[in-house]
Amino acid sequence: MDALVGTYALNLLYQCALLALVALGLAIVFGQLGIMNMAHGEFLMLGAYAMVVVQRAGLPLWTGVLLAAVACALLGAVVERILIRPLVSRPFDTLLATWGLGILLRKSVEAGFGRGYQSIDHGWTGTLQVAGAPYPAYRLGLMAAIAIALGALAWWYRRSPAGARVQAMVSNPGLAEAMGLNTRRLALGAFVAGCVCAGVAGALLAPLVRIEPAMGMDWLLASFFVLVVGGLGSLGGLLAGAALIGGTQVAVASALDATAGSVAVLLLAILFLWRRPHGLVARP
Amino acid sequence: MQRRSFLTHSGALAAAAWAGNVAAQAQPAKVGVLIPQSGPAALFGPSSRACAELAAAEINGRGGVAGRPLQLVFGDAGLPPAEVSQSALRLWRGERCEAFVGMHDSAVRGALVGLFKGQVPYVYTPVYEGAECSPGTWVLGETPQQQLQPVLPWLAKERSLKRWYLIGNDYNWPRDSNAQAKKYIGTSGGSVVGEEYLPFTVDNFDASLAKIRQANADAVLITLVGGASVSFSRAFASFGLADKVTRLGTLIEENTVAGIGAQNTLNLYASAGYFASIDTPAARAFAARYAQKFGPQAPQLNALAQSCYDGLLLLEAMGNKARSLQVPALEKIAEGLRYSGPRGEATLQARHTRKDIFLARADGTALKVVQTFSGVDSGQVCKV
Repeated sequence: MDALVGTYALNLLYQCALLALVALGLAIVFGQLGIMNMAHGEFLMLGAYAMVVVQRAGLPLWTGVLLAAVACALLGAVVERILIRPLVSRPFDTLLATWGLGILLRKSVEAGFGRGYQSIDHGWTGTLQVAGAPYPAYRLGLMAAIAIALGALAWWYRRSPAGARVQAMVSNPGLAEAMGLNTRRLALGAFVAGCVCAGVAGALLAPLVRIEPAMGMDWLLASFFVLVVGGLGSLGGLLAGAALIGGTQVAVASALDATAGSVAVLLLAILFLWRRPHGLVARP
Repeated sequence: MQRRSFLTHSGALAAAAWAGNVAAQAQPAKVGVLIPQSGPAALFGPSSRACAELAAAEINGRGGVAGRPLQLVFGDAGLPPAEVSQSALRLWRGERCEAFVGMHDSAVRGALVGLFKGQVPYVYTPVYEGAECSPGTWVLGETPQQQLQPVLPWLAKERSLKRWYLIGNDYNWPRDSNAQAKKYIGTSGGSVVGEEYLPFTVDNFDASLAKIRQANADAVLITLVGGASVSFSRAFASFGLADKVTRLGTLIEENTVAGIGAQNTLNLYASAGYFASIDTPAARAFAARYAQKFGPQAPQLNALAQSCYDGLLLLEAMGNKARSLQVPALEKIAEGLRYSGPRGEATLQARHTRKDIFLARADGTALKVVQTFSGVDSGQVCKV
């Protein structure tokens, strides 16, 4: 029984780390720009297809992560310039525009790669013996990488001059501009950073998940639930949301079954939207 | 009107009527082909369409059905049942389709049977749970009895499998399949150590995998569909279960295996009436003709798409024997009718087919047939 509990505990940690990774890009864009990027899942899908591209070309897989970052950065910059900036402070219109962008990206990938599933072969297929049961090595590595990356991000946001500028823009854009900060450039940077996070998440997850043009929708929903529960626009909220959503899902699915796990997540999201719309960690 | 002009006019009319009659003789018979072009099964749209087009071209090359060439009209069957019904009604009453071939889920089939009421022939082609006995309806798809009755005991003996874990999506096909599977597991001396049904939206199988390990299962029967099947099998292998636990799936086709990936298909078996790799002259020739017609970019052949080809072959065999596409004429000749296609010889029996079933083992991302079971009964008892 101990091995089972150990596996459940690791599954829980993994699910929380995964949700934090996947929701990070959405949280950055929403937190810094107040925009719900409905094409978030599609940027993640593009990241996964970057891995497919490098695998087909016979290149090492880490170049796929690089390609995902570069491609999503370029695309993100173009999208910010022609789609986001003209619609700034019109949240509902950006919602529709990014939804349309998602459809365009999905169909483009469908045209290029077909509707079928893709798969990534990688070198970390083994398992490690943890808590008395074998656990996938790639997952363990990914969990460690996510923990380090989030730690570094939190440190940067609090300590670096660039982080201070972003904080200034978020809390008072008018004053920040009056003080000589280029808020336009910061907004562009925040949107691009969000897209890159989504793309890199997709590339890192590619060896683990189902890859197809329509895969983005599941991840958008998961990210959205995390932000609803955790609260929009802070790293603490992101972690709290990921922990609560991931924890509830894994705990209920382990104790009862997967159907109950899904129901519990939906109930949790409804409960938060109804009783605590600002989430666990309200924005300062 | 003068007498002379009346005569010329009526002569012209008669000539026109006669010409019209000849045209009616040679007029193509329209067949409505309902395949998923949107929705979760849309992946199978292009390959299904290609298979149907290949069948129609070949049948017309052989002289058509009852002397008339076939003309296919496609409809989207990936929508909710009520909407598919609407488009089927348009094809039937508007486009004057004289027969239907459908490759879609059972909910849509239920709606179509209710719409057609046996007034127009309808061939239902994909794998399904059994028990369709409506008049004017013929079913080609493999039933759970066909996919499991010979296969499961054979595999259990071959790999000494005793402890089975059943996992599927939560709807009638997996539940009905597993109801049959339990019988064959029992007669093969095994036992069921777990049974689980998951909603379509579930993409995380970690809890199920922990339970499979805990239950000490040595075999898993998979009736998950599409993307769920891909996600499950990828995670299954990542937990190191693949070398100890044998997987058998009844809806694992070439696209699914491509998504699962070469690293995750160790000891994965699939049971079906068709695989792209069947090594018989008829199947090889079919695959070659398909590749020739649609080129190197042709959509991947698979059992579901290929069933559309067989659906039209069955219409051809029935129509040519009855010299008609009217339901009463077809009903008279259907029982016991034999036809042959890429899957081998098949015999109509109680609206279903008695036919060969193949067990394939995954090798990388290819499915290689390891055992053929000939003339497997559908296990259905429709009164005809």
